[in-house]
Amino acid sequence: MPVPRVNPEIASALALLAVLCIAPFIVSEYRVGVLIIFFINVILVSSYRVVTTTGDWTLSHVIFLGVGAYATAIMAKNFGWPFWLTLPISGVATAAVAMMVAFPLLRTKGFGFFIGSFAIGEFIRHVWIKFHDPFGGPRGMISIPTVEIGEIDFYDSINFYFLTMIIMVVALGVIYRLDKSRIGNAWKTIYLDEDLAESIGIHVFHYRATAFAVAAFFAGIAGAMFAHLNGAIDPHNFEVDTMVYLVIWIVVGGNATFWGPIAGVSVMSFIFELSRPLAEWRPLLFGVILIIFLTVLPGGLEMIYEKVRSRFFGSRAGAG
Amino acid sequence: MDWGTIVQSLANAVVLGSIYAMVAVGLALAFGVMQMANFAHGEFFMLGAYVVYVLYALGGMPFPVAVIMAFPIVAAFGLATERLIFRPTRGNVLAGFMATAGAAFVLQVLVGQMWGVGLMRSVPTPYMGATDIAGAHISWQRLIIVPAMVVMVGGLRFFLHRVRLGKALRACAQDAEAARLQGINLNRITAVAMIISGGFAGVAGALMAPIAPVTPYMGHTFAITAFIVVIVGGMASIEGALLASFLLGFIHTFVTTYFDNVIATMVGVLFMAIVLIVKPSGLLGRARA
Amino acid sequence: MAFFEVEDVTKRFGGLTALDSISMSVAEGEIRGVIGPNGAGKTTFFNVVSGLYKPTSGSIRFKDREIAGMRPSKIAALGLVRTFQRVALFEKFTVLENVNIARHLQAKETLTGAIFGTAAKRERDALQRAKEIIKFLRLDEVAEELTRNLAHGHQRVLNVAMALATEPKLLMLDEPVAGMNSTETLIMTDLIRKIRDEWGITILLVEHDMRTVMGLCETITVLDFGMKLAEGGPDEIRNNQDVIDAYLGADEFDAAS
Repeated sequence: MPVPRVNPEIASALALLAVLCIAPFIVSEYRVGVLIIFFINVILVSSYRVVTTTGDWTLSHVIFLGVGAYATAIMAKNFGWPFWLTLPISGVATAAVAMMVAFPLLRTKGFGFFIGSFAIGEFIRHVWIKFHDPFGGPRGMISIPTVEIGEIDFYDSINFYFLTMIIMVVALGVIYRLDKSRIGNAWKTIYLDEDLAESIGIHVFHYRATAFAVAAFFAGIAGAMFAHLNGAIDPHNFEVDTMVYLVIWIVVGGNATFWGPIAGVSVMSFIFELSRPLAEWRPLLFGVILIIFLTVLPGGLEMIYEKVRSRFFGSRAGAG
Repeated sequence: MDWGTIVQSLANAVVLGSIYAMVAVGLALAFGVMQMANFAHGEFFMLGAYVVYVLYALGGMPFPVAVIMAFPIVAAFGLATERLIFRPTRGNVLAGFMATAGAAFVLQVLVGQMWGVGLMRSVPTPYMGATDIAGAHISWQRLIIVPAMVVMVGGLRFFLHRVRLGKALRACAQDAEAARLQGINLNRITAVAMIISGGFAGVAGALMAPIAPVTPYMGHTFAITAFIVVIVGGMASIEGALLASFLLGFIHTFVTTYFDNVIATMVGVLFMAIVLIVKPSGLLGRARA
Repeated sequence: MAFFEVEDVTKRFGGLTALDSISMSVAEGEIRGVIGPNGAGKTTFFNVVSGLYKPTSGSIRFKDREIAGMRPSKIAALGLVRTFQRVALFEKFTVLENVNIARHLQAKETLTGAIFGTAAKRERDALQRAKEIIKFLRLDEVAEELTRNLAHGHQRVLNVAMALATEPKLLMLDEPVAGMNSTETLIMTDLIRKIRDEWGITILLVEHDMRTVMGLCETITVLDFGMKLAEGGPDEIRNNQDVIDAYLGADEFDAAS
């Protein structure tokens, strides 16, 4: 009888998860906060990978983080709705905004798509700046209520830590399943050879739109957690500088496999914390890293890992 | 809508359009020649302003000399960008674009560390006073931008159509492969394009130094506007960039007058999104093969 | 019901008329050849029929359904699929994975299906059928190979396998034997005949290799300068003066006749 083989990727991830379950009890409260932000960023960067899988790199993804954040803020603060309701609705609302934007935007591709997505994103961000009601204008929204589920106090960092971690694991689980599925493969084929994909029955426009909407959904989820974590949001949280950081994570990690961007955000978050003493010089460090990875190491850490692995262990066939 | 406001807005729009034109034309050139999309173009603008700050405000050089010096100094940055970023990423527009985003961070930090980040640097106005033209009141400082733009764009046009190197740039923009087969050195072309691109942005920033608040981040909004202009005009078209500069200058000025600055940005950005969707190649661009 | 009918199809690109009022009719079960000198418009014709281009005017009917201007994926869903002149494969996937991906229309995967794995049976069926197609086209030895490791001949057969995976009723092959040596060509010709004979799929074939066309096709349509020049059986075409003139000087035609 064959011994069931555990997928090594999943096994390592589970091991890491076990470590993360213990972490909040042994590190400082500050570090717990850092890890919570890290979890949110992992959801964000994994969702970004979904849309880049079809080759549609956007510059508007951080705006979808904002849409989810504002949606949650408005529902929680103005309507007083509970978390179990506001979380999924934030995701759906963000996906809905994405779908509205997708129909005109997906007429472009490549650089035009990149800049077009930026333009539309900036439009949305200026809507938040302009309208005090309900977005709070340039000052944004404050006093966003904390999460309430039963008797558990989510103002407590450790409780919120585990809540965010669970949501992250579920989100990653869904994204992973989609990536490995026929739909995920369809997305990859659109990137590899769009005409061929269309000719064998893959409706390219529909699949690009689906990727865009799914990516936005999870960015919205990340945004909801972001709003609850900070208690306050404003349009500055979602500027292009933040988007550049998102791009740095995915460039450094690589986007060929599901794990690449996660590796990227992990390494860069680590460097971000370590380089705190650099203060105002930090953006320069990140800028240089981005330049180096784009000019010299375009495959990112993923490709470096693959090269090292194939040199020592031999390459394996099949798609990522 | 009274006549006085209209005339004033028209005058302001012409000045604004001239600024946009100086910034956007270089961007359009670089993109047209070899699809070099420079995220740090706004930072080139900022560097030009700092050249004037350092040479004129701090160093006491005459204003016109400082402005002229901005061209070679910022052009050098353009050249460095071409060599270090655009050449290795040639063929991949997005990669070059994002790498220059990294460069933007680098330049912002370097300038901020050298001359301070906090309060904006103020550059004294070399040409005080104003004039009235057809009922519109314009300061001399703003007014000189218009002839400066005309001279520079005229010079560029002469270069591109009458000088051999300039014609080579146009050939490259038409069909890089054919140009290469004709013996044109593509590396030389891209270097020249970025030199001009940087120089133009630098001079624009230099002229704006006495007018706009000089900070390491001043390039940000100008860069976004420059991209909007270039895309609306047709990414590779200089005539398109000129047309779009004035079109958007007018839209921005009039919308700001009658509504506000935020709505003006929204309108501008929406206009760009619409152009991209309806005619992705821009108002005057050709659909590329 | 006409199985496949093209009526007065014209395609203009700016000032250039690539196709000029082309009309033709293909019966179910035929193997039809489309030939013509370089630049005659053969690939443009395929591109217009398969939906990659919209015709400037004219009508294209497949199984009594007007398909002119439809997008390619919809036309493929109706049963009309084409292969490409260039080698069109999904790199980084294996041969089997490529054919399985082409089972897309049959597998009908939804988002919830993908996330919760509820379509497991349809996926098993898809994979099974993919394996059958691979066997039918004798690609079994290379089924687990990455496409970049394949010989040219195998790559072209894979193109056909992927098209077959969509369960077409009409298969359009764009120069299926281009770049093949004589052995590979014979194998491909055999396979094409098998596809029609055993699976009842109608074939529309663009080819330069005259020997293949003459040996395989029952009816041949000849294009020149975007217009239909002649139509008939291999002997007719071989002896048609207009056709000979159109190919004047072209070695390919002399070699086959």
